[in-house]
Amino acid sequence: MPTDFKLPDVGEGVAEGELVKWLVAEGDTVEEDQPVAEVETDKAVVDVPSPYDGTVATLHWDEGDIVPVGDVFITYNVAGEDAEAESGGEPGGAEAGGSAADAGGAEGREKPESTDAAEPEAAAEKAAVSETAGRTFAPPSVRRLARELDVDIEVVDGTGPSGRVTEADVRRHAEGGEASAGEAGGEAGAAEAAVTKVTEEADETADAGGAAQAAGAGTGAPAKAAEREQTLAAPATRKTADDLGVDLNAVPAVEERDGEAFVTEDAVREYAEAKEAKAADVEARPETPAEGERETTVPYRGVRRTIATKMAESKYTAPHVTHHDTTAIPDLVDVRSRLKAKAEERGVKLTYMPFVLKAIVAALKDHPELNAELREDEEVIVQKHYYNIGIAVATDAGLMVPVVKNVDQKGMLELAQEVNELAQKARDRTISVEEMQGGTFTVTNFGAIGGEYATPIINYPEVGILGLGAIEERPVVEDGEVVARPTLPISVSIDHRVVDGSDVAQFGNEVLEYLNNPELLLLE
Amino acid sequence: MVVGDVSTGTDVAIIGAGPGGYVAAIRAGQLGLDVTLIEKDAYGGTCLNVGCIPSKALITAADRAYEAATSEHMGIYADVSVEMSEMVGWKDGVVDQLTSGVEKLCKANGVNLLEGRAEFVNDSRLRVVHGGEGQGSENVDFEHAVIATGSRPVQIPNFEFDGEHVLDSTAVLDLDHIPDSLVIVGGGYIGMELSTVLAKLGCDVTVVEMLDDILPGYSSDLERPVKKRAEALGVSFQFGESAANWEEVGEGVLVTTDSEDGSGGRYEADAVVVAVGRQPVLDTLNLEAVGLKPNDQGRLDTDHQGRTDVDSIFAIGDVAPGPMLAHKASKEGQVVAEVLAGEPAAMDYQAVPAAVFTDPEIATVGMTEEEAEEAGFTPAVGKFPFNASGRALTTGHSDGFVQVVADEDSGFILGAQIVGPEASELIAELALAVEMGATLEDVAATIHTHPTLSEATMEATEHALGHAIHTLNR
Repeated sequence: MPTDFKLPDVGEGVAEGELVKWLVAEGDTVEEDQPVAEVETDKAVVDVPSPYDGTVATLHWDEGDIVPVGDVFITYNVAGEDAEAESGGEPGGAEAGGSAADAGGAEGREKPESTDAAEPEAAAEKAAVSETAGRTFAPPSVRRLARELDVDIEVVDGTGPSGRVTEADVRRHAEGGEASAGEAGGEAGAAEAAVTKVTEEADETADAGGAAQAAGAGTGAPAKAAEREQTLAAPATRKTADDLGVDLNAVPAVEERDGEAFVTEDAVREYAEAKEAKAADVEARPETPAEGERETTVPYRGVRRTIATKMAESKYTAPHVTHHDTTAIPDLVDVRSRLKAKAEERGVKLTYMPFVLKAIVAALKDHPELNAELREDEEVIVQKHYYNIGIAVATDAGLMVPVVKNVDQKGMLELAQEVNELAQKARDRTISVEEMQGGTFTVTNFGAIGGEYATPIINYPEVGILGLGAIEERPVVEDGEVVARPTLPISVSIDHRVVDGSDVAQFGNEVLEYLNNPELLLLE
Repeated sequence: MVVGDVSTGTDVAIIGAGPGGYVAAIRAGQLGLDVTLIEKDAYGGTCLNVGCIPSKALITAADRAYEAATSEHMGIYADVSVEMSEMVGWKDGVVDQLTSGVEKLCKANGVNLLEGRAEFVNDSRLRVVHGGEGQGSENVDFEHAVIATGSRPVQIPNFEFDGEHVLDSTAVLDLDHIPDSLVIVGGGYIGMELSTVLAKLGCDVTVVEMLDDILPGYSSDLERPVKKRAEALGVSFQFGESAANWEEVGEGVLVTTDSEDGSGGRYEADAVVVAVGRQPVLDTLNLEAVGLKPNDQGRLDTDHQGRTDVDSIFAIGDVAPGPMLAHKASKEGQVVAEVLAGEPAAMDYQAVPAAVFTDPEIATVGMTEEEAEEAGFTPAVGKFPFNASGRALTTGHSDGFVQVVADEDSGFILGAQIVGPEASELIAELALAVEMGATLEDVAATIHTHPTLSEATMEATEHALGHAIHTLNR
């Protein structure tokens, strides 16, 4: 008859051990007390003796796995009638240890004991569901995620209530987390560190105290049990200790009274929390490798994928050259601040964008090669005599580029209003496809978030994009003196197949001239 | 104009604009596919035009008239008269609003609408025959086709629908007056919904049912309150009889029935309504051209993504396996659209809720106690009667109960059965619970609004846990 052998506490109060080597194979016949595996704890490598005479049916772990104490380790086909009595003996012994601890005897064992109790219970609960009807319980969103990540949800271990499969369970499975628990085991890492960093003994994780402390390091000293015969405490504190399942003799004493250790209620609670935290830590570790917490998988589709495709197309098709320049714009700042109030009276929020759009269009008129499109198949470059300027807008869904049509034919306030409306629509995702099509040139205002220069990627098949840096006071030389002036840095990327460096430099000069002398825009 | 072999190309051709087809079309349009939606009758299909929506409109209207006339116990005395043609006119307005909404939504999502009846030429081409004489036909070349042609009422021998003496459910929903008496053949959910409505409007209804009970497929504790109520409304039941023939008698009909013991019956009425079920519509599609054949149930077998045996052709709704329910068709439509757009969608739902709009309503989702046991669970069942619900008593309708079925060991909710007021609405919470893998504890620990009928759901889960407050625990 098959009998499960759970990994016993092979050290003094350890919670888990690394399976170094199996000493038997499935199908082997073993005798009682014959070593079946080498398990390394934080203290030592120990041989695990077989509790039964019989044959090995299943080895449940792989070498290198971190095996929690109390988890099923080996399944035997036990010889003889007394097998069941014996198999009952193991966990019974563990329980006896537990009650001994309650009685104030083996305090040192208490922590791992409580951990043990939690583990098999959870495992049993899971088994109860999975064995009943072969149905996996998981919310629809998680089932969908499993398909997206190509995970068979039937084989995922659920950590949710009653073993329900959660999103994290599926992600962990997808990343191979369940299999690589050994690698991720924090204690194994700490142990290695201890070997390689012998000189750094002060290093907390490599503390010579070993992994047991390392595991509790986050929770500090209270997790370490005190060992006393007697403890003084108020009745309320004793009740709290009872309620929390804490042995008062194990709680570190706050002070001494009449030569006896005295424990307060706070100390009991702190000790219980630390114990719980450690239990949770130990319990969580084999199934929650560091990878699961350090990485998040975000679906690659929708707007993100569209952006990616367009960026790759542009960057791999058009050889980019980016031209950087800057100019002082005190007059523009002045003009805009004066007009802003007027615009507000008419219900329009006036930003710098309309001025920039006007300056760009004025410069584009003199440099039609930047308001163009290369049609390679037709062997022509199409220069456009209409000016539809795209404006890159950062939205929650990603980058979108609404287009302001016929900028040359619109007034400043009209532009201001349209830009604001389009940007809002893009953010609300109410923008239509038409409103994002037909652009001839693009502006990106990365400076709104911060930064001086960038290398914008052209909104292909356009051939030019102008990036605006942040308008800030920067040192400027005037008449041989360094003075602080508001400046506007620009970065213009062009498709070098169509536009040459000298063109873009001249274009840049012209744009900056308009911005430096905004009154010139009146002539446009 | 005769259109010759003009062909248009499309990514997805969807045949039938019912709740399966139009939902598939809209979702596919949202996902950027080029979609052509072909409909021969009316956008919205059976559900919106001659099924769920119009029947619910008339049920509501009949309820209102009936309640107004029968609330003396609340101190309400009213003399109610029903103008049937106006009631039907109001119902038609609701239908129009919904169907034109469907058309607008399709267009707004870039769906090409094409009117006509589609048949397969091969596995990548449909011929669409336009309605009316001499309007010709055109070809639609598709990458993928979705069959969503739905179902039609089953006819029985000797009872050909004529719109005057022998009516189908569609004709009943368009009556211009309330008949004095009707024989309704079929005690399934359509027959029972129609019986209840007409009885409330003052019609003398006789239900002829071949089996020995109403609502086959529902357990007796669920159908009992419905039958009791129908009888109280004056509906008479003739079980174990099948409709054999009919003849015109004066202005009305005389229906003769057979029964196993050879006795049979004769029932006179203004007209006879045949509501014995619905059958999938696949015979108009020329399926032979693509090598598809309906299975024994007259459906097309599909895989977990709705694909038929022909890779380019999908089937959803009433022509696919499973219950003939609009919401199941819609879900399948969404899944197929997502599959066609390359997304990893699948028909992975755990349960399809179902509702019968009788008085009281019946609604179910997931497993019954017996089904749970057969599936290998140890069922824990909790039940809460509406006569212990404060809210139910205040509505004057306290028949029925909420029953939940869960797995004893894990507490996972596996199914639920409700008969009672607003059962059709109440079932939604338990459908969510079943899909989410919620436990009894999850629902029991959720605060439910007081005083509402939904508290009965909470109490039923508590009952299963052995600690309901307002009913005795076992």
